[in-house]
Amino acid sequence: MKKLLAMLLVLCLALSLVPMAFAADEEITLWTYPIGKWGDEAAVKELTDAFTADTGIKVKVEYLAYADGDDKVNTAIAAKNTPDLIMEGPERLVANWGANGYLVDLADMLDDQDRAEILSGALTPCINADGVMYEYPLCMTAHCMAINKTAFEEAGALQYVDLENHTWSTENFKKAVAAVYDYFGETVGAVYCAGQGGDQGTRALINNLYGGKFTNDEHTQVTWDDPNNIKAMAELLELEGIEYDASLAGGDEIAKFYQGALKMAFCWNSVQQANPNAAGTGEGLTVTGDEIAYMHFPTESGEPAELCGGIWGFGIFNNGDDAKIAAAKTFIKWMCDSEHTKDAVLTSSFFAARTAAEGTDLSALFDSELMNEYSAKMLPYLGDYYNVIKGWAAIRTEWWNMLQEIGHGADIAETVAAHQAVANAAAAA
Amino acid sequence: MKIKTGSSLGYRIFSWVMLILLALFFLFPLYWIVTGAFKPATDIYARKPVMWPSEWVMKNWQSLFVKRTAPLFHIFGIDGPTGPAAFRWLINTVFMAVMAMLLTCATAAMSGYSLAKKRFRGRALVFSLIIAAMALPKQVVLIPLLKEMSILKLMNNIWAVILPTVGWPFGVFLIKQFAESIPGEILEAARIDGASEMKTFTTVVFPMIKPGIGALAIFTFINSWNDYFLQLIMLSSNENYTISLGIATLQAETSVDMGLLMAGAALASIPIIIVFLIFQQYFTKGITMGAVKG
Amino acid sequence: MNKKQGLSRALQRREDVAGYLFMAPSLIFFIGFVIIPMFICVGMSLTDATLHNAAPTRFVGLKNFITMWTDKTFLGALKNTFLIVVVSVPVTCLFSLWVASATYKMHNVPLSLFRVIFYLPVVTGSVAVTVVWKWIFDNYSGILNTVLKTSGIIQKNINWLGTPGLTIWCIILILLTTSVGQPIVLYISALGNVDQSLVEAAEVDGANNLQVFWRIKWPQIMPTTLYIIVITTINSFQCFALIQLLTQGGSDTNTVMYYIYYTAFKMTEQAGHFGYANAMGVILAIFIGILSAIQFKLGSEK
Repeated sequence: MKKLLAMLLVLCLALSLVPMAFAADEEITLWTYPIGKWGDEAAVKELTDAFTADTGIKVKVEYLAYADGDDKVNTAIAAKNTPDLIMEGPERLVANWGANGYLVDLADMLDDQDRAEILSGALTPCINADGVMYEYPLCMTAHCMAINKTAFEEAGALQYVDLENHTWSTENFKKAVAAVYDYFGETVGAVYCAGQGGDQGTRALINNLYGGKFTNDEHTQVTWDDPNNIKAMAELLELEGIEYDASLAGGDEIAKFYQGALKMAFCWNSVQQANPNAAGTGEGLTVTGDEIAYMHFPTESGEPAELCGGIWGFGIFNNGDDAKIAAAKTFIKWMCDSEHTKDAVLTSSFFAARTAAEGTDLSALFDSELMNEYSAKMLPYLGDYYNVIKGWAAIRTEWWNMLQEIGHGADIAETVAAHQAVANAAAAA
Repeated sequence: MKIKTGSSLGYRIFSWVMLILLALFFLFPLYWIVTGAFKPATDIYARKPVMWPSEWVMKNWQSLFVKRTAPLFHIFGIDGPTGPAAFRWLINTVFMAVMAMLLTCATAAMSGYSLAKKRFRGRALVFSLIIAAMALPKQVVLIPLLKEMSILKLMNNIWAVILPTVGWPFGVFLIKQFAESIPGEILEAARIDGASEMKTFTTVVFPMIKPGIGALAIFTFINSWNDYFLQLIMLSSNENYTISLGIATLQAETSVDMGLLMAGAALASIPIIIVFLIFQQYFTKGITMGAVKG
Repeated sequence: MNKKQGLSRALQRREDVAGYLFMAPSLIFFIGFVIIPMFICVGMSLTDATLHNAAPTRFVGLKNFITMWTDKTFLGALKNTFLIVVVSVPVTCLFSLWVASATYKMHNVPLSLFRVIFYLPVVTGSVAVTVVWKWIFDNYSGILNTVLKTSGIIQKNINWLGTPGLTIWCIILILLTTSVGQPIVLYISALGNVDQSLVEAAEVDGANNLQVFWRIKWPQIMPTTLYIIVITTINSFQCFALIQLLTQGGSDTNTVMYYIYYTAFKMTEQAGHFGYANAMGVILAIFIGILSAIQFKLGSEK
């Protein structure tokens, strides 16, 4: 009995160690964040299967979450266990892993035609100041906010909203919040700050309210103590119906909005509008069937806001294996610059980062009314992509920690100054 | 005496009420997981918590099983048939917990006995090291462990979780407590009979510390099943995940689909609860014997 | 005489060989995965090692250890770590002692039932339990707020997981439910083993319940209490999953355990500062070592 057990033990040990040696050669690994349906295994598998059939290169995909994906990549870097390919945006690929020297320069993949086809707003952030390209962009969108139209209507707050242009003024925003709060007696919107998830929403809200800026034009320093920002933070704090909530991150806020608890979401975009909460219960509807309207962030003038963008694409980790790097480049070329790009973009459910790829027109991919309207009403207002500022990861951490402290009642000016100092130190380092 | 019985009646009613309330409180998470796994979305997202599913649905389980897939096993470089990743996670977890349990029990039985009964030089030092390390959270050696596993080429391998679990010395301490109570005369008698050290261990010592080993086995099994931290840093691919890690990853990914999470939590906890219920008699017997004698 | 000494030396050698042979399998794992990493940890704590290999590793002496005491986040984490241990250890002991004393005279069926129920959260596991607690404490539609609001105890929702000074207590509460299982089992059996003749003798002498408990029972269950203190301390230092999954260290719930992980792998500018993370590990290990030493000193004095 004991011998049997011992043998079993040895056998198991051997079995579990052996597979390491048998890894197939023509296989690359891709780690992807949940970028539209690039976080959906079934959808991605269709793409990678087609790619494998075409090229003979197998792709092993791991799905990261925003909550702990960065930790996983950093752990992998420490343990020299990084994937070949990674899919995310310039703030991670260019400003972090690229800047720290883990990624391969992709500039050689770019010819003049690519330069002409890729939207400059998408291409610029993918290339650092020295001209090294760490990300090959695939898709993009503009982040916005949303309101529960049904609830607004009930509370008589729709009068403050321009549903035609999806815009509103700061004054009307405040009136609307007050009206909805009076009617329901519950928190209307949450300045969520449990973590970095979805922080573009809180950044855009605070910056647009009175026209403050997040960084200076050169992207060398953050400018949170701009009086316009301070004013916005102070007013949000005082506004009944708006709570700074340290128990929610962006994803939680969406869930609470979808549930109907919150009547506004600051973490929103075209994909959320098409399929709220990724729940599959209907375009532009909450779980109880309330209608959702996507909106610009309020601005003083009531003009469209300056929106934060999302630009997603691929980067290649330099694992010292030229064959794998070449295979990974083949993958990027196949996904981002070929007749298959259409499918890759459609899988993301975002807009294409280029007008055409190898002769396929990508400008009007979607035949849905929502996507066309979104592309006309929101996309043109993409603001400055300041996320490529040095030390971005540390800066955004300071941002949500600052919001937490303000929400907990700390003096606004002092808190902002303290966190801005740390953020600027990171930007200068 | 009579007065005392009277006063203790009131107290007894109070304590029964308290106990029942507390029991409900302790049962609640499990109740919520199990019912939540079968609730439709409208119950899950209801503004007021719904205590009993308005309708029992399998949708949460379906989405849990289709969301991630993986080969069900991987032996000699050959993948098994593809199935729901949650099943693979369960298989990995069972493998991990069983291996950790067997290795821990085997090594701790021998060394616990040695520490209790052998008067070797350096014993005090070894024992103090074990005591000092017992309470150490694994986060302390997070980075060195990671480097070590990277050198051993064990990253993203379930053994990277098992080996440090076996290294943590609580088991040695537990068995030592048991082995203390073995009478020296019995060992002496065995020696005089000419039994070898190994023979003494297997025929005399082992039967006497068996309850302790039983307790340690269940203890290690439950602990490694639930020890989420090592799994979090060591395992990076879907097919190597454990059930705890898999569920935590799903939570990180979609803090939004609570129904799916409940199904996952149910899948993670029900098997181990069943194991516990089957063995709980041995368990209570085992842990009490060692500690109370201590 | 000489001969006898030689014999005992031979005996000693035999004990040494046998002792270490029996220790060997365990020691391989213990040294390999605890002691060696601990040494590496100490070594790295004296350098400016980082995740990014771009920066060369230099010896910086005690710099990391000095920085620590000016790092507000670390001090906050240290404070919380101690708060958790200092609160949860005695509370766990008292709570389980009370439950045990209320149940240990029961019949087998209710006794086993209670024992199992109080053990369930341990078995269910932190990750699964956390999923439920996140829901219970939910700010907008959590069970706790709903119950308190409908019963009129509170007017406005309480943000359980987003209020500094409150959230840490919520975490301690969850930790409590996941750590009382074993102490209750232990106390039930310890109380059952208390020498009844002594209890009866004291009662004849006119001692009341409380006196019987303190004079007769308490000393007899002292070894169990010490053991429970040891395992609860261990448990309290393991509350990583609760923090990581519930607050990510926000709302003043950071602990040293979480901060080490955070410093090492979160994407902040500090991130990847391995030297600093290891220095915190060393400090934590020293504190825990002292704590364990005190506990065992008390244990051996009984």
